[in-house]
Amino acid sequence: MLNIQNLKLSFGEKEVLKGVDLNVNKGDVVTFIGPSGTGKTTILKCINYLVEPHEGQMQIGDINIDFKNINKKETLKLRRNTAMVFQQFNLFKNKTVLENVMDAQIAVQKKSKKEAYDKSIDLLGKVGLLDKEKDYPSKLSGGQQQRVSIARALAVEPDIILFDEPTSSLDPELVDEVLKVIERVAKTGVTILLVTHEMDFARKISNKVVFMEKGKVVEEGPPQQIFENSQNERTKKFLRKFYAKTNEMVEAK
Amino acid sequence: MVEAPSTIDIISLLLQVAHITLYILIISAVLGLLLGSFLTMIIVKNIPILKQLTTVLSSFTRSVPIIIQLFIVYYAIPPLLSNFGINVSNLSAVAASIVALTLYHGGYLTEVLRAAYKAVDKGQHEAADSFGYTPIQKFFRIILPQVVPVGLPGWGNALIHLIHDTSLVFALGVADIMGRAELIAAASYGMNQVQVFIIVAVIYIVVTFLSDGLVRLLEKRTKKYKLDSGLNAGGA
Repeated sequence: MLNIQNLKLSFGEKEVLKGVDLNVNKGDVVTFIGPSGTGKTTILKCINYLVEPHEGQMQIGDINIDFKNINKKETLKLRRNTAMVFQQFNLFKNKTVLENVMDAQIAVQKKSKKEAYDKSIDLLGKVGLLDKEKDYPSKLSGGQQQRVSIARALAVEPDIILFDEPTSSLDPELVDEVLKVIERVAKTGVTILLVTHEMDFARKISNKVVFMEKGKVVEEGPPQQIFENSQNERTKKFLRKFYAKTNEMVEAK
Repeated sequence: MVEAPSTIDIISLLLQVAHITLYILIISAVLGLLLGSFLTMIIVKNIPILKQLTTVLSSFTRSVPIIIQLFIVYYAIPPLLSNFGINVSNLSAVAASIVALTLYHGGYLTEVLRAAYKAVDKGQHEAADSFGYTPIQKFFRIILPQVVPVGLPGWGNALIHLIHDTSLVFALGVADIMGRAELIAAASYGMNQVQVFIIVAVIYIVVTFLSDGLVRLLEKRTKKYKLDSGLNAGGA
């Protein structure tokens, strides 16, 4: 349902994406892992054109896009078929929790207030924040804000949900509540692209893992292949280093 | 011996022309806000040429004393425009005052609004964009409501400056409160000028108080978001 060919992007001299190809089937949960600054987040942002790639083609459902000459209409259509969950949550600060979940449904999807309200209440119940519906985001903890933001993304019933490091700016004890919600979302069969540094979580929920480095896909495959039987030196080194660090942390306790 | 008018008489004489001051004030405030918003849009959208012109206008109106700006608009603009075949030689002093104060207020507000716009977190734009809001939907539903609370204190200050500066339009011969005050003081050869000007001061205090009240009321209504000027994404 999502195909990307030869996605390229550079900021000035620096090449951020050096021709990335990607195939995602409906219902896939695809996780991007790899060192910082390798373009994982950038790929997600290219997919809904928050970052503008210089080259590349993309097919998403029945939308065909050539990034070299994309127009405004295609941009809107693309964005209306995807939803993003941001590292910094980015809830609308001038709207209450409930309004945050309702707003895109009303503004973009032209649903009636009643319809948007019912859907939002249902979703807030599912992420366990029904009691916060009237609060402004500034009153919520990071974990609660991120759960609202997931409800907001689900509310527009997107073909694909893009999770951009959804737990990276959370206090450690708040990470679990958000991961649990994401896991539940993944089980509903919606297509998910996820960038994360939570390796165990990636291993558990994804059916495809993409290891990236320096703007390129180094290796991709099912989690067992990447995490247990990787034949790629670079992947093995990254994971070894990662787990060595985690072990140190565990020993330090 | 001229008999000096009583305090009550002076107040009533001054209030008879209060509508002229208020008229100039309100029209300049509204037009200035529109001009300031328009110029801010040019700056944030980075429109070439217009942006440079806006920067020049804004820095001119903020660096030149307002009395000089009034003189320039009233005395220099009509002959200048007549060179281009535009005849505004019958520009009234009131109209010239409104034009000058609008430019001044608009130029000042451009700086206030630009800063307030920039204070909105980039993530707010990204979030609205990511859902496919049109630029107009994004602006009115998400961005503007967050610009307003940040811009309000600056706007309130600009309004107070504008209120004070309306007292200078008498220099163009406008018979506003200040113009009338000069006349009353002159009629008694300056005998009661302290009294007259203190009354003028009180009138200005009342007007400023009302404008402050308006700004506070608006501030109260937008306080609920607990914006942190967007410098901090908050949470975690």
